[in-house]
Amino acid sequence: MNSTPPFSPFPTASGSSRHGSPGTHQIEDEELDRWILTRLAMVGVDLGVLPEDDPDAPADQRRVLVSLRQILRERMPVVSDYPLDPMQFPPVLYPAHLPEVREATVVRADEGDILGEGP
Amino acid sequence: MTAQVAGSGRDMAHPRPPQDALVDRRDFMARMGALAALAALGGCAVREPGEVAAAPGPASDGAAFFRAVSRSDLPQEASTDPAELTAWEAGALIRDGDLGVEEYVEAYLERIRRWDGVYQAYGHVLEEEALAEARRQDSASPRSLLHGIPLAIKDNVYSAGIPTRANSHIFRDFVPDEDATVLARLRMAGGIPLGKSQLGPLATTRALTPDGEITTMNAWAPGDPRVSPGGSSSGSATAVMARLAASSIGTQTGGSITMPSLAQGLTGLKPTFGRTSLHGVIPLSYSRDHVGPLARDARDAALILQAMAGADPRDPRTQGLPPVPDFLNASLPVEGPNGPRVRWPTRIGVLPGWAGAPEEDGANRQAFLAEAREVGAEVVELDPPPAWEELTSIHFNTLRLVERTEPFVPYLKEDVRLFGVTLNSFLGGLFVSGDEYMKGQRAKLALLRLVMDEFLSQCDVVMLESHVPFDMIGFPLMTLPVGTRQAEGHTLPGGVLMGAGPFGEERLLAVATAIQARTDWHRRRPDDPTEAEEARMTGPNAPSRGHLDLETVTREAE
Repeated sequence: MNSTPPFSPFPTASGSSRHGSPGTHQIEDEELDRWILTRLAMVGVDLGVLPEDDPDAPADQRRVLVSLRQILRERMPVVSDYPLDPMQFPPVLYPAHLPEVREATVVRADEGDILGEGP
Repeated sequence: MTAQVAGSGRDMAHPRPPQDALVDRRDFMARMGALAALAALGGCAVREPGEVAAAPGPASDGAAFFRAVSRSDLPQEASTDPAELTAWEAGALIRDGDLGVEEYVEAYLERIRRWDGVYQAYGHVLEEEALAEARRQDSASPRSLLHGIPLAIKDNVYSAGIPTRANSHIFRDFVPDEDATVLARLRMAGGIPLGKSQLGPLATTRALTPDGEITTMNAWAPGDPRVSPGGSSSGSATAVMARLAASSIGTQTGGSITMPSLAQGLTGLKPTFGRTSLHGVIPLSYSRDHVGPLARDARDAALILQAMAGADPRDPRTQGLPPVPDFLNASLPVEGPNGPRVRWPTRIGVLPGWAGAPEEDGANRQAFLAEAREVGAEVVELDPPPAWEELTSIHFNTLRLVERTEPFVPYLKEDVRLFGVTLNSFLGGLFVSGDEYMKGQRAKLALLRLVMDEFLSQCDVVMLESHVPFDMIGFPLMTLPVGTRQAEGHTLPGGVLMGAGPFGEERLLAVATAIQARTDWHRRRPDDPTEAEEARMTGPNAPSRGHLDLETVTREAE
């Protein structure tokens, strides 16, 4: 019997990924660009209305692709590999609204602790 | 039965503690399961949709707040120009019949006519509307909180019958048929909008045209476009510091209230997520957008926030939260035997290296800590775990692009050129996968607990290098002008960034107002533009103010 859960614990000292990932840094620019353009085409977004390479234009295809490659290659692998125990950290969209934060205050307000004194 | 309050907060003269002190941190984690179940069973009331109501607080009409104005402390310049008054000083004079609303509004309009060609704080000025409202208010009894107070409204906030363009091609012809809830409440409280203030396109960066041309100047360097006014609430900040408005509102998703406030020496307040309604605010991130004041001092910030905070039937994110406390009271200075004191016992947490920052930043921070000790605050050192740096990194911050992209997908499909120089950050969300976005939502809880357990168990206020972590988890932030700094050959205001626990606006206001009662950093104002600066920026041969390119905007917008 093994009581250790098969999930990554919250990092306290070393932090960072314990898994590592080959990541997208091993994928060539051309291959990433094909995927980016395919994804955009599937959504219905047309980069073709932009100039291919014009640094004086507000936006051009070359610089857009550089930016999107950076997100895919440098940002998301770090997020994906980051160890967080699903038992300890379920998803929260609005952290300041957690019942554990909000209700503690509301309950005390109902008890009259924070009401009753005007300016 | 009230659980023992962690931290501190009892004030002998004012027994009601600040609201953040009521969040029990010791049973914070233990409560989660039971309270989640309570909410699921309907323990958390949600109000029915309905019309906009006035903001609920404070309990009184603020008479005590305005009565506390000391006429002898009013700035000398204000005797000839009421635009030099803070909003609360002007409010007191109006209530006493010593200042007419039309006279007051006209003083600002005169400055706008004279100087906004240089500053370009506004995209749209409401001269006739403001004067008509001023005349109407002069014939009414000044009982409402903001009676007669001229305001700059960021142009991503819906204004009924008035263009709301957000400096974006997408909204260039948009004229809302209703006010945003926050604007409706400011009007109901007597606030008078002078105009719609400039912002970075769609609230992403310093104020620019959609295609990247610089518009708005920093009030401290009106002839030098290299000096950023801070973004994205650039126009709101410049309007207040250049005395083109008494106060203003901005929005913040990633520092857009606190950065321009720091750039121009203002007291900016980003409230807890949900304190102010987002109904009628062009979205940038559903879970991180906030509306708050960019003000001249803590009392002005309290006044503006008090007038617009509270639950809104049209924004579920404001429902079921703690009641709006008395921000006005929290912003009133408290006098101790040896001078001003912070209203509640307060511990200020400092992260490693914060006070030892290089050059003027370090000196300003040390000056702040010295003043904090003088007003009775205790300074404690914090020791963050490695996860602090990891969870607040650009990698996790990028995940918010999903929320940026989603409402704008129809416009991305229509024509990506509509996004001008901001295109990259609006496309970015299409390249974050569902599992990565979900990891980000889980990381928010990890960051929340880290802040609560590692920081707020030891202190009430955290001094921060960056707005990012508290923007991510929706905790309140406040800026305070402190000292000066040098940039591009100009002497500019310095400042510090404070964060507090959820619903801790009173705590931040109390610290800020105590320090402002001892210092004059918040009283400093830049001179009007020189003739040379005016000629350089508006003359017939005025050069372009320059532009920001796609890479720079992408970096700033992230």
